[in-house]
Amino acid sequence: MKQFLLAVHLLLVSTATTLAESGPIQAILQEHGDLIVKSSRKTIGPAIEAVATSGLPEAQSVLQAWQVKNIWMRKSDGLFFLGERIESKTYRLIDFDSGDTVGEFPKRALKNIKPNSGIRALIGTALVRFQLLDPEPDRRMEALDAIERSPDASLLAPLRSSIDGESDAGIRARKMRIERLLTIAHGTGADERVAAIEEMSTDLGVDVRAALNPLTRTAVMAFAGDIPEGLNVAWRLGPGSDDLPREEAYALLVATGLAPATVGRDAIRDALIANLEDNAAGGAQAGELGTDDARMRAYGVLAGAGTVPPLVTDAEIDAALDAHVFAAVYAEASPAVTAAAEAALARIANRVGLSQGADLALDALSLASIYFLAAIGLAITFGVMGVINMAHGEFIMMGAYTGYVVQQFIPHHTVSILVAVPLAFAVTFGAGVAMERLVIRWLYNRPLETLLATFGISIALQQLAKNIFGTQARPLTSPSWLDGAWVINDVISISHIRIAIFVLALIFLGIFLFIMHRTRLGLETRAVTQNRRMAAAMGINPDRVNMLTFGLGSGIAGIAGVAIGLYAKVTSDLGADYIVQSFMTVVVGGVGNIWGTLLGATGIGFLQKGIEWFNPSNTLAAQTYMIIFIIVVFIQLRPQGIIALKGRAAGD
Amino acid sequence: MKILKVLAAASAAAVASVGPAVAAGCPVKVGVLHSLSGTMAISETTLKDTMLMLVEEQNGAGGVLGCEIEAVVVDPASDWPLFAEKARELLTVHEVDVIFGNWTSVSRKSVLPVIEELNGLLFYPVQYEGEESSKNVFYTGAAPNQQAIPATDYYLDELGVEKFALLGTDYVYPRTTNNILESYLKSKGISDEDIFVNYTPFGHSDWSKIVADVVALGADGKKVGVISTINGDANIGFYKELAAAGVSADDIPVVAFSVGEEELSGLDTSNLVGHLAAWNYFMSADTPGNEAFIAAWHEFIGDESRVTNDPMEAHYIGFNMWVNSVTAAGTTDVDAVREAMWGQEFPNLTGGMAVMGVNHHLSKPVLIGEIQADGQFDIISQTAEVPGDAWTDFLPASAMLASNWSELGCGMYDTGTGTCVQIKSNY
Repeated sequence: MKQFLLAVHLLLVSTATTLAESGPIQAILQEHGDLIVKSSRKTIGPAIEAVATSGLPEAQSVLQAWQVKNIWMRKSDGLFFLGERIESKTYRLIDFDSGDTVGEFPKRALKNIKPNSGIRALIGTALVRFQLLDPEPDRRMEALDAIERSPDASLLAPLRSSIDGESDAGIRARKMRIERLLTIAHGTGADERVAAIEEMSTDLGVDVRAALNPLTRTAVMAFAGDIPEGLNVAWRLGPGSDDLPREEAYALLVATGLAPATVGRDAIRDALIANLEDNAAGGAQAGELGTDDARMRAYGVLAGAGTVPPLVTDAEIDAALDAHVFAAVYAEASPAVTAAAEAALARIANRVGLSQGADLALDALSLASIYFLAAIGLAITFGVMGVINMAHGEFIMMGAYTGYVVQQFIPHHTVSILVAVPLAFAVTFGAGVAMERLVIRWLYNRPLETLLATFGISIALQQLAKNIFGTQARPLTSPSWLDGAWVINDVISISHIRIAIFVLALIFLGIFLFIMHRTRLGLETRAVTQNRRMAAAMGINPDRVNMLTFGLGSGIAGIAGVAIGLYAKVTSDLGADYIVQSFMTVVVGGVGNIWGTLLGATGIGFLQKGIEWFNPSNTLAAQTYMIIFIIVVFIQLRPQGIIALKGRAAGD
Repeated sequence: MKILKVLAAASAAAVASVGPAVAAGCPVKVGVLHSLSGTMAISETTLKDTMLMLVEEQNGAGGVLGCEIEAVVVDPASDWPLFAEKARELLTVHEVDVIFGNWTSVSRKSVLPVIEELNGLLFYPVQYEGEESSKNVFYTGAAPNQQAIPATDYYLDELGVEKFALLGTDYVYPRTTNNILESYLKSKGISDEDIFVNYTPFGHSDWSKIVADVVALGADGKKVGVISTINGDANIGFYKELAAAGVSADDIPVVAFSVGEEELSGLDTSNLVGHLAAWNYFMSADTPGNEAFIAAWHEFIGDESRVTNDPMEAHYIGFNMWVNSVTAAGTTDVDAVREAMWGQEFPNLTGGMAVMGVNHHLSKPVLIGEIQADGQFDIISQTAEVPGDAWTDFLPASAMLASNWSELGCGMYDTGTGTCVQIKSNY
């Protein structure tokens, strides 16, 4: 009983009894129990260090368990154990030293030690020395991750010694690369470091720049007389230049204690107020102190009497500036290293600039393909048939929701997408046909009514989706082979899903061209849109053709919906986000021509990315400018779009 | 236990009924002003259901002042001006004694003049940008110093972040919060070039360029962290692009102020494990109170898969404090209840006590959680209770301002000149 009470009282402090019972690693943990429970990156250092340097065989497993939040503290005595979850509220505790099961405990009797990611990184660094030679390749990769996250000087030696024994070629290459980067920062001699810098100077990686940039950091310093030997001076600065304005230079002198502080306007006022006697200061009545000049004079009188610190005149400032030398000084001591780093960075900067341009172009191309995919259905219904279908976006949304519903029934992602694509086509084809039969066919050649009617339908469809699926976004998960990105280098990369959308857009372009120019439906569609009565006279049923064409346009929108849902989100507003862009794409490109739509999408995509590049901090403004620009340039100056239809196809 | 509760309520009612101040007629009416349609519906519908559950529970425990509580539900339909009309309807037609409602700041701003004109009482349950303290509103969500500032401290101290990307949706809450954070970061010695700010429209989906910009921030060897005030659906595209770019939470952590359990339910979270959120409540909080609350919620809503979130806890605390204040005041009269609210205490679901301050903000603990694969948060940091600060100390314009309705009788008091700037909240 006494023992129990003692343990309760000294929750975290190890008592003689617990020490006697517990093994060496437990003793170390107990010694740092407070820090471990407190779990703050700022204070945890000694605890991790103690475990890592204990030399005990269990050290690695304790650190690993700690890192993945598997250490539990028994509240009754403050001892630490490895915890294994048995069921939601019960955990089995295992002693670190002996590996024996201590027993099963309810969760309430335990406290989980949860290191935050800052602490986990520290543990990762401590684990490096164990994991670099671990037989498990995954563990060795973890060790390399940890080195990359905190490139510490102490890790260089163990890393170097581990390279020779490395059997896995991929890991070996990575180890050698990281060794080079560590050498840049922490190598012993300047020669070694310069060699590493030159070797890495063709590499675009963010990590290479992250290793080089700190070497070229400078600080402006002021010196009385000559610059002391041994400082690595980047360049000298003249006070009063653009790089070092006069005020800054003097402030630097004041901060380093080389010159007296100037007295500002506020300070003068405060000093006068503080020295008011009989409503007068410095020989002037308070009422006379209305101007800066008067205050300066009064202050001068006070300063002359020695009651306040003297004013610093412009001449004194100039004299002080002349008497001192200013220079930007590298924090890095070796001139050879800084020169090599500057040169390497300049070389890298050129290539990074080029790569960024390429990356931007790739992004723009991808955005263009997304716009094209969203607009291609509209290119049929609006471009070819001339129906202003404001509910086009809602067909995209329907397709996306179809994909979501399919995934609820078919959990396998690849299969579900393969099923969802034709199903989305079928659903939106049906919806398009129904809409054409019920509404649009009564309104041909009455664009205003069509616009209003379809706008109403679009609102109704959105609300319907909200009622069925709710307004919270629904997950449409892409197959795992579409996760990740195609990485060309650290600057140029594009996610697989965007590449898939690009390919899909190309396929649809092909399908569109094929249907319009190689099939009977395409021929009939073109005939009906050019001259409905003549086509009817030739034995074409215009009603049927219109119905099928509209259905086709809607169906393609549905498939686009699946793709857009995979890349962005599935919500009831999904369609509304794309309807403006879709119409813009079709109108800008030139109504009635698929190549125009393609050009329109490309133009808008590149324009938007270009504007984003000029104004990286505000994407909303970028889009507003873009829309204004497009409306002004294209709709005003060239109402027929980039590619205008000619001859009979132009209709009226 | 239940008998005890009933007895307590009954005795409270008995005490109240002999008191002279019983002005309220039965039933006591509680207005619920949450959008049940339109874009905010899903978030706000949950809060409407929470209110109905709380009212039902309270009625089971004997109501208040011996009266049954009746919930009057109206639908402002995510239409900001309609919020003002519906609030007027609640106060003048239904004559409710208190209103629980609003989600977005813009809807709250629309309701404020009505509430103040008619001397109503509003409990606002959502984390917001601060810079406001109305006589007639109790703010049970977090002010910036209870969410944004502690999360930034966590970045600076615990994760060692040296370079910040502040990404937000383009409207009042992210802009104000980022202004506060920018000046806070500068006061902590973070220089201008180490702060990257970006605003995107609601529902933005093309994130590739922005994510690439954020990754490129790491080129000078400093640790980069993202503070996200991105709201709504746009988060989905953002997190998808982060995952596609292979950005791990260990390299570039993202802390979000508007992503909770409800929002994560629309996402595949397996790629987001380790990213962070800061709130005053997480469903995963392991306390008996929270367990009972979740059980009651599941029973009321009839769906075991529904999650609970921070604004629900805010309503839970707010409603219970209101009930206690009414009981203490012996009346539902707004002025009496408001005075009884000051200093009200009620246990948080995450442990500790929430206390209502004289500036109408709660003191609550700040929690930071890491996203887990199951869409829940693993709480890795929990502070002691932090009193909500209506006027942030980190903007020069509001550092001088204080709010104290008890002693100063003013929500916007200039401590420099010692005067009340204004009583109404039309700023």
